[in-house]
Amino acid sequence: MKSAWKAVLLLAIMAILVLFALGLNNDPHAIPSPLINRAAPDIVALDLAGEPIRLADQRGKWVLVNFWGSWCVSCVAEHPYLIELARKTRDRTDFTIMGVDFKDTEQGARQFLARHGDPGYRHAFDPNQKIAIDWGVYGAPESYLLDPNGRIRLKQTGPLYPGWFEQVALPLIQAPLTQTEKGAP
Amino acid sequence: MWIEIGHIAAIAAFWLALTQTGTALAGVTQARPAWIRVSRHSAFALLALLTLAAGSLVGAFLSHDFSVRYVAEHASLELPLFYLATALWGGHEGSLLLWAWLLALFNGITVWRHWSTHSRSMPWILAILGGLLAGFLTLILFLSSPFERLNPAPANGRDLNPLLQDPGMVFHPPFLYMGYVALAIPYAFGMAALITGQAGEEWILATRRWTLFAWISLTIGIVFGGYWAYYELGWGGYWAWDPVENASFMPWLTATAFLHSVMVQERRGIFKTWNLFLIITTFALSLLGTFLVRSGVLSSVHAFASDPGRGVYILFFMGLLLLFSFGVLVLRSDLLRTEIHLESPFSKESAFLFNNLLLVVAAVTVLLGTLYPLAIETLSNAKVSVGAPYYNKVFIPIMLGILLLMGVAPLLSWRRASLTRLRQGLPWLLALSLGGVLAAWWQQLTHPYGLATIALILFVTATHLLDLIQQLRARMATASRQGGAPPAPLAALWQLLSRNKRRYGGMTVHLGIVVMSAGFIGSGLFQQEVDLFLSPGDSVKLGRWTLTLESVGSAARQNWSAVEAVVRAEQNGESITLHPQKRSYGKRSQPTTEAAIHSTWSEDLYVVLGDSVKENTWNFRIYRNPLVLWIWWGTAIMAFGVAFAMMQGRRNA
Repeated sequence: MKSAWKAVLLLAIMAILVLFALGLNNDPHAIPSPLINRAAPDIVALDLAGEPIRLADQRGKWVLVNFWGSWCVSCVAEHPYLIELARKTRDRTDFTIMGVDFKDTEQGARQFLARHGDPGYRHAFDPNQKIAIDWGVYGAPESYLLDPNGRIRLKQTGPLYPGWFEQVALPLIQAPLTQTEKGAP
Repeated sequence: MWIEIGHIAAIAAFWLALTQTGTALAGVTQARPAWIRVSRHSAFALLALLTLAAGSLVGAFLSHDFSVRYVAEHASLELPLFYLATALWGGHEGSLLLWAWLLALFNGITVWRHWSTHSRSMPWILAILGGLLAGFLTLILFLSSPFERLNPAPANGRDLNPLLQDPGMVFHPPFLYMGYVALAIPYAFGMAALITGQAGEEWILATRRWTLFAWISLTIGIVFGGYWAYYELGWGGYWAWDPVENASFMPWLTATAFLHSVMVQERRGIFKTWNLFLIITTFALSLLGTFLVRSGVLSSVHAFASDPGRGVYILFFMGLLLLFSFGVLVLRSDLLRTEIHLESPFSKESAFLFNNLLLVVAAVTVLLGTLYPLAIETLSNAKVSVGAPYYNKVFIPIMLGILLLMGVAPLLSWRRASLTRLRQGLPWLLALSLGGVLAAWWQQLTHPYGLATIALILFVTATHLLDLIQQLRARMATASRQGGAPPAPLAALWQLLSRNKRRYGGMTVHLGIVVMSAGFIGSGLFQQEVDLFLSPGDSVKLGRWTLTLESVGSAARQNWSAVEAVVRAEQNGESITLHPQKRSYGKRSQPTTEAAIHSTWSEDLYVVLGDSVKENTWNFRIYRNPLVLWIWWGTAIMAFGVAFAMMQGRRNA
């Protein structure tokens, strides 16, 4: 073997190993949403009680939009935290929660809430996944945090976990808005 | 109780693996044969202990011992016996244990079979295999133990992932692991030859059957994976160029190259360094596959266990192995200089050289496609995926080149081929291929790759049959020249085949590949698909079939319940009934599709039941997949060819 080949061989192997070492920090499940820092698509729908519900009405508040369905196993695991979060933040004027129940039946959703507890906030009903498709939701549960201008600031794929609000959402909510985040005049 | 015994056995096996390596090294460096005998006995004891360890886990499954975490996570009271016994490899920890057990088994067989014939390299082989075993047992014992208990024990388990409750998935992992692990044996022999400086032909002759066995196991394992995807995942295809599929395919490509190039070294004494490079690369790629699957660095349908701790360890282990192997190769390769060069571009050895180049380039393209998303994500945080369009563009031309060489090779002889044999057959062969292309054109096949493949399929088949006929004639002519009656053609054929098992075994494998290629072309270029909504009574036409949804009802078995549609398919008075299902396995409530497939030699009718959109209306996807059966049968032919070739021992000098 010529020494040039030896060097190439060893360098190629080192390069692959270094790439893997760096790649270990990647999270294969974190798929960035192209909607981050963009205006969220509006939600205009009926809620589970048949009353009209609109996302844009919440402008001026931070909104947690939580996609779920009664068929979703991880949503059951997430549910106690949502109930706790809704109770803890009930008195905040700058934060609210909205559910989107997708790919579901009204009866299934009602049974789910009766069985696992009703967190109290309203849910847009999305049986044909129109809203979910607009938002690029590909699994459940998925949650989006919107700033007071209606921009998506965060996406959480998979269940929210105890401490999520304090560790992830609050730092964003309390940070001063930068010029771009205040939105166009 | 048993699981603790199994756990202790695995821990003892770990120490014995270290002993196997340590005593072998001590024995060879201090010239003490007694130490090496200790190493040999460690190898046997290790196998016994790991058998006990794996047995204790299987026992825990069979007795529904849900106090064992691994059993609780991968079985339930309702799981049928067949899947209960094979749930051992239903998850990460048990798969690794199976890996280690297979390695211990092959390690034991190697020591038993080659102890007296390869006494000089044996200490090094023992040291290397012992080191590999210790490496895997470290991963099992410290980072992914299947022997953990749950306290309190649940009353029932979480059940095996429904997607894995399929015969294809039962056989896919063990065959794949057998392939990966059996490659460790030629690898260890090659390294030992390199270290002892005896990198002649001996290591290749000794490991020929191991290599063949590893290769066919890998082949069967990969095809079972495709078979499972086709029957269980319900997307109408069998191969998606997913990173983890690629991870199993890359060692296959380099192992195929190795299988061919060792023949050149055996006959002509050249390609020595190249062969060592190939076997090290092949084994390294199989470890890379393990790394990709088990560390979760890549997003993939197979990334079961995303655990950075394991990833760091496997990376460390793989880095050590790669740097050691290639380091030794680089340091010692100067011993392998050979003075013989290729005599003519028209010879079998140069055909093998090109075959090797194409296969390695193919492996490199797959490697690039697999690592590119990882590199982009690591360096720029963006997500990209490399899919079928890239591979179709880059990979298919390379494969067509390989098919061409496959057709030419039997016509060439070693050293310098005479062109007369080529000239005799060539016009006929070209005419046949051209005829095939015209016939395909007439059948409205216009895709250039499709036409090229059909020409090559005919060409390869014809050269292989031509070769057989020429050899048969020569044999019969010699027999009659030596006096006596010419033998009956069938008897002569049998003589010819049984005296050249390697040659004709190999050619049978080629024919298997040709059959598979026909399947790839048929299903790849001619798939037809409709996606529509049907209510009972509705009909749809696809190809020559008329499908009618008769009713939608329900079905249930031991651990699942399903929505089941009854679809009648008719063509030319032939009428069949298909039952596609959407199954819910109670525990995990993740619905799985059970496609209903009607297979004939010419096409598969493939019906998938989707969601109900409104009362009494369901979504259906219906595919016509031509020639899919040829892929599975091609594999069977390949397995038969390899088995035939393995029946012959060393080539008669």
